[in-house]
Amino acid sequence: MLAPAQVIVARPRAGSALRSMLPWVLVAALALVMPHVVPGGFGLSLLCRMGIAIVFALSFNMLLGQGGMLDFGHAVFLGLGGFLAMHFMRLADAGWWLPLPLLPLAGAVGGLLAAIAAGWIATRRAGTAFAMITLGVAELVVAIVLLLPGTFGGEEGLSGDRSSGPRVLGFDFGTQLQAYHLIAAWAWGCALLMWLYTRTPLGRLANAVRDNAERVGFLGYNPARIRWLVFALSGLFAGVAGGLAALNDEIVTSGNMGPDASGGVLLMTFIGGIGTFWGPVVGAILITFLSVALSTVTDAWQLYSGLLFVAMVVWAPGGLSGIILAHAPLVRAGRLGRVVPGYLVCLPGLVLAVAGTVGLAELAFRLQAVRNGASPRPVFGIAVDPGSLLPWLVALALLLAGALLLRRTAPPARAAWQEASVASTAP
Amino acid sequence: MTALLVTGLHKAFGPTRIIQGIELSVAKGERHAVIGPNGAGKSTLFHLISGRLRADAGQVLLDGQDITGLPPHDIFNRGMARSFQVTSLFPKLSVFENLRAAAMRDGGCGLAFWRRLDGYAPLRQRAEDLLAMLGLDRRRDVLAGNLAYADQRALEIGVTVAGGAHTILLDEPTAGMSRAETERAVTLIRRVTEGRTLVMIEHDLGVVFDLADRISVLAEGRVIASGLPDQVRGDPAVRTAYLGAAAETLDA
Repeated sequence: MLAPAQVIVARPRAGSALRSMLPWVLVAALALVMPHVVPGGFGLSLLCRMGIAIVFALSFNMLLGQGGMLDFGHAVFLGLGGFLAMHFMRLADAGWWLPLPLLPLAGAVGGLLAAIAAGWIATRRAGTAFAMITLGVAELVVAIVLLLPGTFGGEEGLSGDRSSGPRVLGFDFGTQLQAYHLIAAWAWGCALLMWLYTRTPLGRLANAVRDNAERVGFLGYNPARIRWLVFALSGLFAGVAGGLAALNDEIVTSGNMGPDASGGVLLMTFIGGIGTFWGPVVGAILITFLSVALSTVTDAWQLYSGLLFVAMVVWAPGGLSGIILAHAPLVRAGRLGRVVPGYLVCLPGLVLAVAGTVGLAELAFRLQAVRNGASPRPVFGIAVDPGSLLPWLVALALLLAGALLLRRTAPPARAAWQEASVASTAP
Repeated sequence: MTALLVTGLHKAFGPTRIIQGIELSVAKGERHAVIGPNGAGKSTLFHLISGRLRADAGQVLLDGQDITGLPPHDIFNRGMARSFQVTSLFPKLSVFENLRAAAMRDGGCGLAFWRRLDGYAPLRQRAEDLLAMLGLDRRRDVLAGNLAYADQRALEIGVTVAGGAHTILLDEPTAGMSRAETERAVTLIRRVTEGRTLVMIEHDLGVVFDLADRISVLAEGRVIASGLPDQVRGDPAVRTAYLGAAAETLDA
């Protein structure tokens, strides 16, 4: 008697499954087109970095956004995965028959094993205690890596040659484009697996543990066991990112797994937004772009991504994806036009404040450069002397003027958004 | 047949002795109310039975099995579920997902990460049935944290019973509710605990005498009276513990 009803239920579900796969098809198409949009060796290596960062940030958000675990040492799993992958690459260099396109699998194993071990102790606790344990574990692992130069290559790290393996499915890493296609395929597959995971029993239980771990215990599951399992899976995907990085860079060092790398993934994940699945993807793309593109323009790029992070934490804790999501109901209800004027009025203040901030930062960096004996580069195309007072006053005035303008223009813009979204979500 | 048997239970926080030798016996299928003045140790008793706190001494038997000192998830898996006095839900999950998560253990999901959650059709069905029973079907996709208070209390009961436990502990299910909301809650409790054993802490004596088959009265960490509602109503020790306004309610 049950069978006909099940068929009726199954049919719309099959349709919705197809619909939910559509974005993945589009992303795959986009990934194939991108090398032609962003040409040149520089663009291609940027795209490769983005692919690796996407996998890494998504694995990080399995913990932070979906599981409520703030891991301060996530790069350890990328690094150890990378080292294991690098050892296999060196075996291929030594003449073993190893298909190097599958090298990220070695990274996965390395990340998984490391996360099982670290998670055994870290996931017994949640919240602040968990965060501090991960910090300690990361310090410990980096110290051990530097203590064992025979295995990890000491300060210089380990390097290998990705083109030494056999030609598999046409891949011989003769060109950077081949490397990109491989990284894009792995990144796409890993992202899909991590998305599918969010729709499994464990994925949902991770959300429940994030929201209220104690109650999960009173529903028959050991919350610490759930955290451990999620931690292990997250380490697995971080390890894949490490394997991809080993393939891309042909070198792995202790720097890949240090506090800078762990802080970086927190930055990009949070800026992209931890409340949605795709937020970390946005953050990974943006921060990778900034770190590569901006670093060619200014020495202060790290300062800027730090400022962006702070601004996000204070004013937009949902990240970029949170901002986008906050406007989705407005777009659906055709009410986006109601908030645009308010936003445009905010624009001058924002531009002034950003210009003032950038001016101050650039002056500070140039002052340092001048003291080191270099000649100062112009700011915004204007030749300035960072040793004199006037440019500092101008930059400060710009910042203050912008801040004052924003204080007047931002509240009405916010109120307009609030009004429009209430109207848009009302039944 | 005894569903729940508590013997010689003791618990102290530092020098403060909260539970001082509690004896409690609840028969299978019975609706048992635990009442008593503030600070009598009612919630602590629930914490000890459900595994949230560890007893200093004493024993808790569920269906004749010793569950003393087990962690909460083991106790749940032996068939006892509890609710909380302060609503304890998953605020960023929808009402439906709250109920489904609560039913997962019994639904045979384990910790699977290789199967779709939507693929467990009976689980989905149970969550939908509970939605209807709780009268929350129109709030299905609202985040639990955004629900009105009375709806959150109803969901709290729903989450507690979703896992199919045979013994249910409810900690002040009608606290903070209006008259009308309380009446709805009583009907709901009666319905969802049909065929199960219920132990309930309750301040509203109207609810207690309406629902309970038997009543135990706690004062200063001891059970001072236990029996049928009429026996408890006339007990002089209970009247001493319930001086003033509450004693008049007992007569009502």
